[in-house]
Amino acid sequence: MSHAWRPLFVIIAVVIIIFTARIIIVPSDFEATNGDYKYQWHRVSSEQDWKDFPVKHKGREFCEQCHDEMTATVKGSGHTNVQCESCHVQFNPDKKGHPIDLKEDFDYLLEIGIDRSRALCKRCHTKLVYRPIPKIYIKNRESYEDMKLVDPTEHNPGIECIECHDVHRTEFK
Amino acid sequence: MTEGHVHGELWTIKELFTYPNEYIYWTVHIAVYPYITGLVAGAFVLSSLYHVLGKEELRPVAKFSLIFSFALLLIAPTPLLFHLTQPFRGYHTILTPHFYSAIAAFNLVYLSYMAIVAAEIWFAFRKFIVEQSESQTGFKRLIYKVLTLGSTDVSEKALHLDEKMIKILAAIGIPAAALLHGYVGFIFGSVKTVPLWKTPLMPFIFLMSAVISGIAVCIFTYIIGMKFAKKFICTATIRSMCNALVFFLVIAFLLEIIDIVFHAYTAEEFWGILSQVLFDRFAVKIIVIQWGLGMILPLILLILPRVDTLRAFIAASLVLMGVFMMRWDVVIGGQSMSRSFAGFMEYNLPIIPNSVEAFKEGLVAVIILLSAPFIILYFMNKIFPVFSEVFNEDDCRILTEEEKKVH
Amino acid sequence: MALTRRELLKKGLLSICGTLIPLSAFELLKPDAMASLIHPYSKKKRWAFTVDTTKCMGCGMCVKACKLENEIPFEAEVQRTWVERYVQTKKGEVIIDSPRGARYGFTKNDPQGKNIPEEEITKGFFVPKLCNHCEKPSCVQVCPVGATYKTEDGVVLVDRKWCIGCGYCINNCPYFARFFHPVHNVAEKCTWCYHRINKGMNTACADSCAFGVRKIGRLNDSESEVHKIITTKRVAVLKPEFGNEPHVFYIGLDHIVR
Repeated sequence: MSHAWRPLFVIIAVVIIIFTARIIIVPSDFEATNGDYKYQWHRVSSEQDWKDFPVKHKGREFCEQCHDEMTATVKGSGHTNVQCESCHVQFNPDKKGHPIDLKEDFDYLLEIGIDRSRALCKRCHTKLVYRPIPKIYIKNRESYEDMKLVDPTEHNPGIECIECHDVHRTEFK
Repeated sequence: MTEGHVHGELWTIKELFTYPNEYIYWTVHIAVYPYITGLVAGAFVLSSLYHVLGKEELRPVAKFSLIFSFALLLIAPTPLLFHLTQPFRGYHTILTPHFYSAIAAFNLVYLSYMAIVAAEIWFAFRKFIVEQSESQTGFKRLIYKVLTLGSTDVSEKALHLDEKMIKILAAIGIPAAALLHGYVGFIFGSVKTVPLWKTPLMPFIFLMSAVISGIAVCIFTYIIGMKFAKKFICTATIRSMCNALVFFLVIAFLLEIIDIVFHAYTAEEFWGILSQVLFDRFAVKIIVIQWGLGMILPLILLILPRVDTLRAFIAASLVLMGVFMMRWDVVIGGQSMSRSFAGFMEYNLPIIPNSVEAFKEGLVAVIILLSAPFIILYFMNKIFPVFSEVFNEDDCRILTEEEKKVH
Repeated sequence: MALTRRELLKKGLLSICGTLIPLSAFELLKPDAMASLIHPYSKKKRWAFTVDTTKCMGCGMCVKACKLENEIPFEAEVQRTWVERYVQTKKGEVIIDSPRGARYGFTKNDPQGKNIPEEEITKGFFVPKLCNHCEKPSCVQVCPVGATYKTEDGVVLVDRKWCIGCGYCINNCPYFARFFHPVHNVAEKCTWCYHRINKGMNTACADSCAFGVRKIGRLNDSESEVHKIITTKRVAVLKPEFGNEPHVFYIGLDHIVR
């Protein structure tokens, strides 16, 4: 046998090592689902990982469990389509605070609190020339009404919106 | 509340409108990676010119360029590891390769190419290894013993077979080198979202610039190595390398120009922003450094008659710089235009390594990576002396006279 | 002797090369696979999304909800969904911006921080963006390790445990819907709230939208609102020229939208 084959043996040894490692390390559920190697070559249990991701925003039905009067009020107001969480979920730690620990008792993972700032109201109610003005049916007043948009630089600047407005009933205080 | 850091925020400056998630995600390492891979391919092609085409005047650099090619090859994938946000998972590419991805086959191409180069080195140095395994003592003896792979046959017949194997491997190696680097070009050429990259010419542009940079780095290192070792530099060898350099420089330049001309002529949606990058934001980098100093000036230096060592050295250094600039312009320039075609991003290479990311993706890492092949070459030279077949004045004179006869 | 050995080596090498490429790589050659290329909208279950840009107010509640729902650090300048503002002036100049991804909404007429007088503006609108969950996602095609994939119901996901972080998918997304997660340091993208839609819920962004801009549903379910919109209204997709077959359908798209 010629010595010229010897490098090839080294190469074969390396290849065998790689394949053994592959068999040991690759997760057993790694496959091309439906034979679609192009778009579905993956670890199948990863799909379950994503399905198991915790749900955080639980919607108005969750709040309704305790605050049914308040949710009923909101449902009849101009804010009927606004989720409680839009205003009550806080990313700012100084504004959070809920009388009972929702995380402990209800497995509710978001921080609930009250943001009374003008900045929050401005997100929807600032008048911009290119901002559409939707018409909303308000059950309590039994009427279709245009959404109220204001220019925050002219509309009582420096005063918090909630001084005059009741945001749950969408009426003046 | 911010935990962690946004990858890319450290070095990207956004201008006008860019998508909120848009950063320069492929940074300096993606420029260094094709640069080093290109040097590998070029250096190997140079050594093959001697083995396959029998260019006798290249004998002094044949072994050197082969070993240097291997040293560069060892470093070639490390920029990618620095670039990964999960470097310790890099081996996943071997475990579950997805061959629809242009980079999944990298391991395959890289490892097979490495096998070819390593085997060729083994055949080229086999006689030397066997001799050393008998004459050396201690640890060095052990290294050479292992390197013989158990074969001590240095008979006339066996050595003749070695010669034949080298020729075969060198011949296989040329298309393999072309594949390795053309493939790197394909990785860029196939990114359909980046207008500057998306051209079928990309593999050829990369291949040609790889060859010129590889030859240039051999000229560069050969001259420095010889000066350092105070050995004789054969002008015939230098001239032969320079001739090859000129040939490939012309092709590389034409390919790069035709690509831009084509973009300008077809003037697709992205040409507006692309021309701003070419002629405004990257004008100095592309037109002055990459083309002017990196291609046209060395071409003039090498075409002028009576090329001497100094002129060859300057031209080679300029080509090396120009090709690096080309990698930079392609990678950074391509990403610097927003995919919204309505804004730009500027890239600032992190210089002071004051955080893990600033080190990993910064100047310090680049310097380490670019000097590593030379350090490896230094140590490999201890085991495989690369300049063992250097010409003396007499050999060189004979060659030079032969050269004159031909002309 | 030498010949048989050579034969053996040859065959060995061939079989090694053969196993290197998973057999399924050749599945494309099967008639079924070819058929599915010709008729991409089969009867299979497939999620789709619609965005009515004519109703979008640019309040950015969707961005806020998404960031909190999906644990993307709130102040990090990356997001799974964002809202862009397009303003065109009388001179024809188009100004586009998305300050902080619009997670604090648009509360001022200051596109790109410029003060454009109202009377100069001829048109303007907001365009919410998110991952398009393409039928032929180029980001999935280029993943070297199979860490991102399309599920059977058409949602494109990332395997956080397998991603190596090369960024190839990020660069191959025409919409820049992908980014690196600031904490997990792997490629991250919108999942269409896969954990919610599989429980029969809405996505967090659609849930938090008070104006009914965003809707998710089954593409082939004739009862779903998404199906009704796509089949009865004039809808468009973003950047169809890339051939990805995006599945977020927009009402009221304009040629200035990027």
